Amino acid sequence: MMWKTIGQSIAGTSHLQTGKACEDAVRYAIALQPDGGEVLVCCASDGAGSAKFAAEASLFLTGQIASLLCAEIRIGNELDEAALLEMFELVYDGFVEKANEVGEPLNEFSCTLLGCVVYAERAVFFQTGDGAIIRGDGSGGYVPVWWPQNGEYSNTTHFFIGDAAFSHVKMQCINEAVTEVGIFTDGLQMLALNYESLTVHQPFFTGMFKWLRKATTQDDTNILDKKLAAFLAGDLINSRTDDDKTLLLATRLMDE
Amino acid sequence: MIDEYISFEQVPFGSESFADNPEPRCPCVLLLDTSGSMAGKPIRELNDGIQAFKQELMGDHLATKRVEVAIVTFGPVSIETNFQTVANFTPRTLHTTGDTPLGAAVATGIDLVTQRKQEYKEHGIAYYKPWIILITDGAPTDSWRQAAQQISEGEDKKSFAFFAIGIEGANFEVLRELSVREPLKLRGLMFREFFLWLSASMKMVSSKNPGSNISLPPPTGWSEL
Repeated sequence: MMWKTIGQSIAGTSHLQTGKACEDAVRYAIALQPDGGEVLVCCASDGAGSAKFAAEASLFLTGQIASLLCAEIRIGNELDEAALLEMFELVYDGFVEKANEVGEPLNEFSCTLLGCVVYAERAVFFQTGDGAIIRGDGSGGYVPVWWPQNGEYSNTTHFFIGDAAFSHVKMQCINEAVTEVGIFTDGLQMLALNYESLTVHQPFFTGMFKWLRKATTQDDTNILDKKLAAFLAGDLINSRTDDDKTLLLATRLMDE
Repeated sequence: MIDEYISFEQVPFGSESFADNPEPRCPCVLLLDTSGSMAGKPIRELNDGIQAFKQELMGDHLATKRVEVAIVTFGPVSIETNFQTVANFTPRTLHTTGDTPLGAAVATGIDLVTQRKQEYKEHGIAYYKPWIILITDGAPTDSWRQAAQQISEGEDKKSFAFFAIGIEGANFEVLRELSVREPLKLRGLMFREFFLWLSASMKMVSSKNPGSNISLPPPTGWSEL
């Protein structure tokens, strides 16, 4: 076991009150390269509150992107920005088809996209819309890959289906060994990031990564995954945000 | 040496430490006509309406922390209160004086919004789209074309949302040219109803999380549509 990953999407209290389903989604997988190398694939999405098919959209997007990424990795294709763009086009067409099927405008499928592919010595990140991806800085701290992409205003953001040319999708390849990543949707943004200093709120993550590093078996990881769900659904979080929230944490570090 | 055994079922997983970020702000400027023609009942009703506005917002814990109100009266143009959160906002009784320099009032309102946004940015405070609300019962006594231009540019750039509310006697032709949105006519002197609607709208905006769209309550009850 190299990568240890946990990830949960939990409905916010405002969604529970109005009987709405959780409109966040998260998917992750380990894909094996032809030479046996493990590659971590992670993907999360937040369906727009205004979109009729927000829940379906975020599920579809994360499912499609994750399985397309895994398929490419398994046949040994190196994923770069061009490969990602091709993939986005495929999924975009899938959304157009879905919208046509139900006879609804495409923006009823609005959702954000956050994700990464982490190779042994290289990593690719992609994002459109709000929420954030953080990674270990190699010396025990965490840094945001990008600062969240809200528009000027708190209640505006970008969505995957917003632009067929994906001019609003950020992508970044890093040629170094990334050992820890975290992904979260905007429901946790104000809790996990310091807006004045534009930094990651370190203690939010260090305590959780500490235990994930100590996990030695899949059973340990599964227990932590359940605890993550309980944490996200708990009063401590709900007193600070009523939105849906997703948190994914992955580490390949071991702690004695 | 034996490895320390960890029972993962027992570990306290999660975080009790959260970032201490300021609440996102939801700025609202009221441009209030206090010209001579507002004397008597209109200004009394307007004053009552503003009090009701504050009370309504105080009843909502998010709006109390997030909504910021500024008041500009005209004329002459005067910044009655610069942006303050609802808790600190203590509206004084407004009195009528002078003419209706509507153009200058709009320019002042836009300046206030621009300055406030700059302050938010400098302090890393997230914010919602500012609202500028004009309430008048007359016709401008100054040049308002420049103001119309500023409003149209500001709306184009999504710098703010401008709403014009006309009271009986207001020059709606000018208001229509001034505002990108159709001006609304206040029914009688239903300021209270208007401000209740405004506070409901502000509550809705300020309760939204980033990313969610807003649909406001319809302006029924106080406007003649």
